[in-house]
Amino acid sequence: MIKMEIASNTAENTDNMSPNKKTVPVQAENITKQYGGSSFTAVDNISFELKENQITCFVGPSGCGKTVTLRLIAGLEYPTYGTLTVYGKQVMGPGPDRGMIFQAYTSFPWLNALDNVAYGLKIMGVPKAQREEKAREFLKLVHLEKFENYIPRDMSGGMKQRVAIARTLAQNPELLLMDEPFGALDAQVRWEMQEMMIEIIERDKKTVVTVTHDIGEAIYLADRIVFFTRQPGKIKADIELDFKKGKRFPRKEDLICHPGYAEMEARLFAMMREEIHGKPS
Amino acid sequence: MQVDKGPQPIGPKFTPPKDKFFGLRVRVHRKKSIALGILGGFIFFAIWEIAHYMMPEAKQRFLPSVEHVIATVYYLLAEKGFIYDIAKSCYRIFVSFFSASAIAIPLGIGMGCFANLRATINPSVSGFRYLPAASFIPLLLVWFGPTDMAKMGLLFIGVIFFLISLILDSTDAVPIELTEASLTMGASPRQVVLGVIAPAAAPAILDSMRNMIAVGWTYLVIAEIVGANDGIGAVMMRAGRFLHVDIIMAGIFTIGILGVLTDSLFRLVSRLAFGWNIPQRG
Repeated sequence: MIKMEIASNTAENTDNMSPNKKTVPVQAENITKQYGGSSFTAVDNISFELKENQITCFVGPSGCGKTVTLRLIAGLEYPTYGTLTVYGKQVMGPGPDRGMIFQAYTSFPWLNALDNVAYGLKIMGVPKAQREEKAREFLKLVHLEKFENYIPRDMSGGMKQRVAIARTLAQNPELLLMDEPFGALDAQVRWEMQEMMIEIIERDKKTVVTVTHDIGEAIYLADRIVFFTRQPGKIKADIELDFKKGKRFPRKEDLICHPGYAEMEARLFAMMREEIHGKPS
Repeated sequence: MQVDKGPQPIGPKFTPPKDKFFGLRVRVHRKKSIALGILGGFIFFAIWEIAHYMMPEAKQRFLPSVEHVIATVYYLLAEKGFIYDIAKSCYRIFVSFFSASAIAIPLGIGMGCFANLRATINPSVSGFRYLPAASFIPLLLVWFGPTDMAKMGLLFIGVIFFLISLILDSTDAVPIELTEASLTMGASPRQVVLGVIAPAAAPAILDSMRNMIAVGWTYLVIAEIVGANDGIGAVMMRAGRFLHVDIIMAGIFTIGILGVLTDSLFRLVSRLAFGWNIPQRG
């Protein structure tokens, strides 16, 4: 729907001056985000461009502005300076074209799993029978097909997060934004969820941005890692994970055994150490 | 026939330390909890009863015995049409309380959702909370005379400002992520307020209402002092003039019972309507 709108907008321009702008999922140019007037700069003059069907991971220490940047893309906050476009359109607020998954559980506690997943479709005006059919399809995708009548009270943290993921995906967003989606889960569930995400993203060919400070998670999920540094928040390094050779791995241990993995992990740990303790003299 | 009994424990039976009355934050079984509650009530009435019989005979009428007060309630009901007074008091409480709620719920939720609305209204509401409701009695009498309106007005003023503040707090307590998640799904402000924030805050709002209707009951006697000739408070005030302590205490007793019933009613509604909010036992 949104894409059509963009097509008509650019058709007015007739020339092909910015053919790539149409297809660039996210383009950030000199974005600065300040709070309290200009007393605190969370993000300082960052620019980046995200590619279609890529999984990009924002990594960095706490307070580096990675979550703020994600929230800017989501439209939950606005930049103080700079331009930020999603598929060529200036971000002017949140919308269902950019689905977001939060660290906190956001499934509605008064609705069962099915109605939770159907909620986003209801907002979009999908008729009841169709949205329930679709909700069932997405519950199946997150392996919750047997739990459609469960309410969040009776679900584990991992199940609640699966419901939130299914609810977001059911709206078929062009961009999937995830803010430390598995941060509240225990290690084993987190690992299960990471593998499930790879399965889903491979199936639906989504453009994904995810924020994490878990280096293992970043390497496993990402095609590209954008490493943020703090005070002020800037991009420290922009790393394409070439060692994966464009592959994604359904099983985490297959990646860990892959040549280049250990070097990448060592590199990121060193960068993180530098962030926390300063450069070794 | 061989029956599979599942895993068989082979260790010796473990005997945990005995339950103590002052077990720190232990869980009390429902049956035990009810038994303890009855015991507590029994102790209260026992102290009252002992106090009555320890008084010199001439003064015993200033503290009638439990059975005498209960007999008085029965006497009032059977002979004096007390049920009509009870109905009148309930009517005043419920009409005034639900009109106050009808204003406080949308206002409190609105103030919790919209910062500008809150900034506009909250300072005034906070100020009103500090004004004693009883100080409005002369004003209400001038405006409405000794009518039902004056009494319900007092009950209304007594609860509405606290109710607004409590509902605002309940709305504030709804996690911001629920709002943000709905917004990223494309929900309109109206859909977020009515479809997400209001249902999320509803159990806490009902809880605030349960607490505030208790306050409403405490204002009842004050409200019915003023030129009332019916209602529980009026019956008590009339009895006071003739030193009928038994009738006064029968009135207090009745209000207590009605309060407990109101509270249970609210709890029942909460359990039926917001089952999702009750933590699973086990």
